[in-house]
Amino acid sequence: MIISYNWLKDLVEVNLSPQELANELTKVGLAVEGVHQANDDFVFDIDLTSNRSDCLSHLGVAREIRAITNYELLITNHKDQKPKTEDQNVVTIQDADLCHRFTARIIRNVRIAPSPDWLKKRLEAIGERTINNVADISNYVMHELGQPMHAFDFNKLAENRIVIRRARNGETIKTLDEARRKLNDTMLAICDAEKPVAVAGVMGGFDSGITEETTNVLLEVAYFKRENIRQTSRKLNLTTEASYRFERGVDIENLIRASNRATELICELANGEAGEFVDVYPTKFVPNKIQSKDIQFAVKRLTGLDVEKNEILRILNALGIQSKSETIYLSPSWRHDLAIEEDLVEEVARIYGYDKIAEELPPSVNAGEYQPNEMRKLHLRQTLANLGFDEAINYSFIDTHSDEKFELIPDFVHENLDEKFISLKDSIIEGATRMRPSLLSGLLDAVRTNFNHRRRDIKLFELGKVFSASDKENDLPEEKELFALVVTGSETLQNKAMPLREYDFYDAKGALESAANALNIPALEFKTKDVKHLRKGQSAAVLFNGKQIGAIGRLTDEITSAYKFKQPVFVAEINLQVLLEAKEQEVLYKPLPVFPSIVRDVSLLANRSVNFADIKQAIEAENFELLRKVGFVDVYEGEGMMNNERSITIRLEYRSNERTLLEEEVEKIHARILQNIESKLDVKQRL
Amino acid sequence: MIEQKRQVEKIREAFNQEFGRFNNLNTQNLSLSEAETLQKELGEIRIKHTGKKSEISGLNKFIGQVAPEERAEFGKLIQSLSSEVSRAIEKAELALKTFIENIKIEREKLDVTLPGNRPRVGHLHPITLLRQKIEDIFVSLGYAIEDDREIETDYYNFDALNIPEGHPARESQDTFYATHGFALRSQTSTVQIRAMERRGVPIRIIAPGRVFRRDTPDLTHTPMFHQIEGLCVDKGITMAHLKGTVAEWLRRLFGKETRIRLRPSYFPFTEPSAEFDFSCFKCGGTGEFEHERCRPCKGSGWIELGGSGMVHPNVLRACNVDPQVYSGFAFGFGLERMCALMYSLDDIRLMFENDVRFLEQFR
Repeated sequence: MIISYNWLKDLVEVNLSPQELANELTKVGLAVEGVHQANDDFVFDIDLTSNRSDCLSHLGVAREIRAITNYELLITNHKDQKPKTEDQNVVTIQDADLCHRFTARIIRNVRIAPSPDWLKKRLEAIGERTINNVADISNYVMHELGQPMHAFDFNKLAENRIVIRRARNGETIKTLDEARRKLNDTMLAICDAEKPVAVAGVMGGFDSGITEETTNVLLEVAYFKRENIRQTSRKLNLTTEASYRFERGVDIENLIRASNRATELICELANGEAGEFVDVYPTKFVPNKIQSKDIQFAVKRLTGLDVEKNEILRILNALGIQSKSETIYLSPSWRHDLAIEEDLVEEVARIYGYDKIAEELPPSVNAGEYQPNEMRKLHLRQTLANLGFDEAINYSFIDTHSDEKFELIPDFVHENLDEKFISLKDSIIEGATRMRPSLLSGLLDAVRTNFNHRRRDIKLFELGKVFSASDKENDLPEEKELFALVVTGSETLQNKAMPLREYDFYDAKGALESAANALNIPALEFKTKDVKHLRKGQSAAVLFNGKQIGAIGRLTDEITSAYKFKQPVFVAEINLQVLLEAKEQEVLYKPLPVFPSIVRDVSLLANRSVNFADIKQAIEAENFELLRKVGFVDVYEGEGMMNNERSITIRLEYRSNERTLLEEEVEKIHARILQNIESKLDVKQRL
Repeated sequence: MIEQKRQVEKIREAFNQEFGRFNNLNTQNLSLSEAETLQKELGEIRIKHTGKKSEISGLNKFIGQVAPEERAEFGKLIQSLSSEVSRAIEKAELALKTFIENIKIEREKLDVTLPGNRPRVGHLHPITLLRQKIEDIFVSLGYAIEDDREIETDYYNFDALNIPEGHPARESQDTFYATHGFALRSQTSTVQIRAMERRGVPIRIIAPGRVFRRDTPDLTHTPMFHQIEGLCVDKGITMAHLKGTVAEWLRRLFGKETRIRLRPSYFPFTEPSAEFDFSCFKCGGTGEFEHERCRPCKGSGWIELGGSGMVHPNVLRACNVDPQVYSGFAFGFGLERMCALMYSLDDIRLMFENDVRFLEQFR
């Protein structure tokens, strides 16, 4: 809101420079964002909080200055404009629940003309447009006293009277902005004998407005129920300076002063003659009674400030808050935000000065604590970063296009529901109305972003929540924390352009294994499995403790080409929550071997259906003595191999804890092992 | 002895003839392979002309034929020839060896300015990094870290926070609504309520997390961002404790010169309410940096960071805490905004684009 320095000086004594005044206002909560010179005046740009509608005028700011400086307001007594009419028929309030007070003044023989220069200057200084003398005066009085008002062309009101009632469904009105608006029975309308002539508190009607031909004016100054004005303004999608003030609350006890002030100016500047005045006031103002047993104690208890009782009372009084007794305070009619003792404490503290509040640390009671799994998650993140993965954070909402693309983690979505997912009622980012059930779509968007910047070698991971509908009615949606990663391109060294080698499935798998290792939990298992978004033969289920918790593999060509990716992309997504629920493994020292081991590498010609894990398990199942470890060396699948064959080299390690082994005894066991797997699996030693 | 002397001269001549090209050997114009060939040939000459089976050694057998009084002289003669030959060979050998070594060193000389072999490491997201720093500070101050749901009921997002139905903050266009009428939490204050319900009082927590508001993305807004909310409820908590706590953590983050100020404000869930600002970390509160208007604080010397206040009695009551007995403060601020300030980032949308060129700048 824009406030003029000179205008303020009409209303209260000010002996502070504009900059000093700006600082003082900011200190009490009227944040002055800027002070600008405007001809011989200065204007303040004040950012008001939504509770302080009382400061939406020069009078309101002047009252704050009174509380700060203790100077009295310069009250001008506006001529009490007579006569008051006995003819109550001019104004009828039918819906008093929405209209708490309505005054009307009739002013005759008005000459509509441009405003005089001083008035124009005042309005222009605060950035207001000038129209004609009557419109400008109502705008001027609103900015001076905070009370919006509306001038009707009295002659255009059917039967020259006003009825305040709810609009009827289907009634329409052409408002001053020349838009035709449909009203309904939730909206309050100012009507003449026949039809709506204004949307109460929001905007006047075009047909009953002031024109150059207007001679008789009916000046409406009223108070409407705040909530109703807000709703109407929302429904019509129409916010005006008037509705802005009415919905936040104006001063119901200030209506006559505002009306008189405007009437005085219209008579003076537009040659008018004050006529009848009607004041219908069905809902009398009742001040909030605020209880405070010991305001001084309350101030101390909440702010730590020691403020003298006299100073407290001075501040409250200067703000218009009357102490009715030792324990009861009455809120002024212009303040809609004061109801409880804490409100009074804030009033005292802000005027006394937040800068006087001391700095203390609260006495400590407990040791600090991280969230139960926070350190493990940090370790996981750090591990992935050390492996060259950058951490991504994506929006929680995604395009619904992504819905069917990915196979989601098991036991997450309730397939029996019609609406399995959570959607937003509307989006801010085009199309993004789905609360993500998978982290993959965000990660792939990120891959695309990087490809667009010619970055081909990308490793990203994300930890984040996914969402799905609950299968219990009215229950909050399911939220689960997942971990996902994407790998594509080649391994490179920092600052070296030549790639070392292309990433493949095993880079993604290795990262996932490292992640589990970082959490210090038993190893993950991987089983061949077809997964919707993954290429057949290059996809696996990821299992933990025998249960599937996600999937890993190479994206299908269908998905990569939809994203316009021209290189293989490997992804993995798992349920992190399951892993975090698992207990950390105990670390126990194992004595270091004393005797050397003997190592044998053996190449096996294997049918492609035989996995490394099959061979390893087959050997381990037999518990061969002295055999300590079955390791992997290498796979060869190329020239010299049949289509359904490959050569797989494994490493067997033999060791005794009692003695140094002899070649011959190892040879014997080794031969037995080979015999054993050749008989169990479709493999043959390759010599 | 004349005959014997002639023998000596003959051998000397033969050696000189073979060795001739190594005399005053000029290595300058040699290639490495030429030098290596010469080295090899020189080796052969050494074998031939030194050692037990060489002709020079053979001269020793003539000593017996020389008259006894001349033997000493003859012995010296052989000796001097032998050492003459050895010296000449050694000199040539040294010259060649040095030459070859120098060439090899020259050839194997490294460019030590080439990049070292260094696997590319990844980077944590700036939000993670900042969140971690702030969490560490609060844990050391005795706070517990809390988080909770991101999709909430109206009760936790509004009612319990003293934003009843019909309240402007509730009708504002800020909140995302999902199917079934649930709200995406528009502030992490929701965690205040859930944590107080869980833990009771006294309580000291901070709650970092994602929040959602219907803001169209622009330089300073994104529809999703991260907030940290702090809450301290106990007997005898005042705004002085709020001020002290905010000052303490900002000093730990930005240095002990940091000053803070509270400005009166309005939030439905606090009363009294205050915004908190801190003296600019760049210009130290002067508003000027290197003779120009300071960027982070826009020349004001103060950075406006977040909202705070004493927990509204209605909020305490919603959590079954008696506001007559307990009081508390709460504060909240946005991490993206803080990151933007700290790293001079002028477009916070980058936070969620996951452009690696952006991510790899943070450590």
